[in-house]
Amino acid sequence: MTIDTQASDADLIARSLAEPELFTAVFDRHSAEILRYVYARLGPDLAEDVTAETFLAAFRYRGRYDGTWSDARPWLYGIAVRQIRRHRRVESRRLRLLRSALADGPTPDHGDRAAERVTAARLGPRLAIAVAALPRQDRDLLLLVAWAELSYAEAATALGTTTSAVKARLHRIRVRMRQQLGGSNPMNEENDDE
Amino acid sequence: MSEIPTLREMRPAPPAAELEAMRMAVRERFVAGTGSGAGTRAPRRWRLPVMAGGLTAAAAATAAAALVLTSGQQAVPGQHGTAGHTRSVVTTAWTVREDADGTVTIYLQQYANPAGLQHTLQADGINAIVRQIPTALRTVGNQTMPFPACNYWTLTDAAPQAVQQAVWAIADKGQTLPVEFIIHPDAMPRGSALFLAFLTGAPPKDGNMGVVALKPVVLNNDVVPACVPVTKSAPTSAPKAA
Repeated sequence: MTIDTQASDADLIARSLAEPELFTAVFDRHSAEILRYVYARLGPDLAEDVTAETFLAAFRYRGRYDGTWSDARPWLYGIAVRQIRRHRRVESRRLRLLRSALADGPTPDHGDRAAERVTAARLGPRLAIAVAALPRQDRDLLLLVAWAELSYAEAATALGTTTSAVKARLHRIRVRMRQQLGGSNPMNEENDDE
Repeated sequence: MSEIPTLREMRPAPPAAELEAMRMAVRERFVAGTGSGAGTRAPRRWRLPVMAGGLTAAAAATAAAALVLTSGQQAVPGQHGTAGHTRSVVTTAWTVREDADGTVTIYLQQYANPAGLQHTLQADGINAIVRQIPTALRTVGNQTMPFPACNYWTLTDAAPQAVQQAVWAIADKGQTLPVEFIIHPDAMPRGSALFLAFLTGAPPKDGNMGVVALKPVVLNNDVVPACVPVTKSAPTSAPKAA
């Protein structure tokens, strides 16, 4: 078995149908990122289990992979999101903990903190509540963009929808969250487009 | 959308070392889970290398087992023989064959007598370390499954990838036993060691023993790596607020 480190994910996945070990290279490329995302959403107790299930599911269904996707990240995130949905209660508890931690956290040192950190510390508890209150599909989308840092197009691939639908949903999410945050716009409104 | 950078700052994240430990634990489970049953082909059948005097491995294995019974030798329950330019040690669990070009092939059918395997490899010029990864039962959802009780994720002394590729290869696709490793001892740097680890509690698949051979690792030295216990760590600190 030889692995071309320059090979695209699509190539590796296609070849892995005949040489299953090649899928390990896909794991090695993306597992840290997927694990980090699952950890953020579900916490340490489930992060290993859900990440393992994500990649095992990806391996089982690799025959369905769309070869036009050179980067497997959105596909893997889509699988991870479906695995995460099975642990909705854990995530709700996680968000409550996050809210408490943010509420109890130390006041940021303004001397060396980025503006976003200051804003996060100030708004964090309320924002956590707003995220927790979102419908499941909206929360999945928002956190794919915010925590997984997927582009709109990648998030659309992950969720099996279109980029325009993602933009529209994110707009609705933003309106809803601002209502949750008191109807005002407490954030710096400098860059309204991601 | 300005909520996005604010949300990013709120993202809980583990320390890098903890993340890597978790990732390696997941990797072992992934490899174990894809060892054979999840693959596209069934594990290859055990090959019977031809032995000296036309004996098959099976016949030699029987002889080896008889030898163990009568001689009481425990360290190497095998039989050394020569056939042309090759030399083989055969047991019912594994065969180590040294070819004329110095290549050593390890056929693993069962995980048994790791000390004997280690000794045999060392006799063939491979500074080998053979270890078993213990497993513990854990419940995930409504299923109770074995998972590694510890991990060798602290293999910080692994040789560079180029060395790994030069020293060993897996002849078959899966890692669930039976499996075949091809070793090139001449490519091992001076002072290095070949580390072989086995996960023996994997769920049985296709009727085999449920044993997974992890990929060999060439270490820069012969210090036996520590198997670090896997713990379900509690949150060590509050998510970063600032």
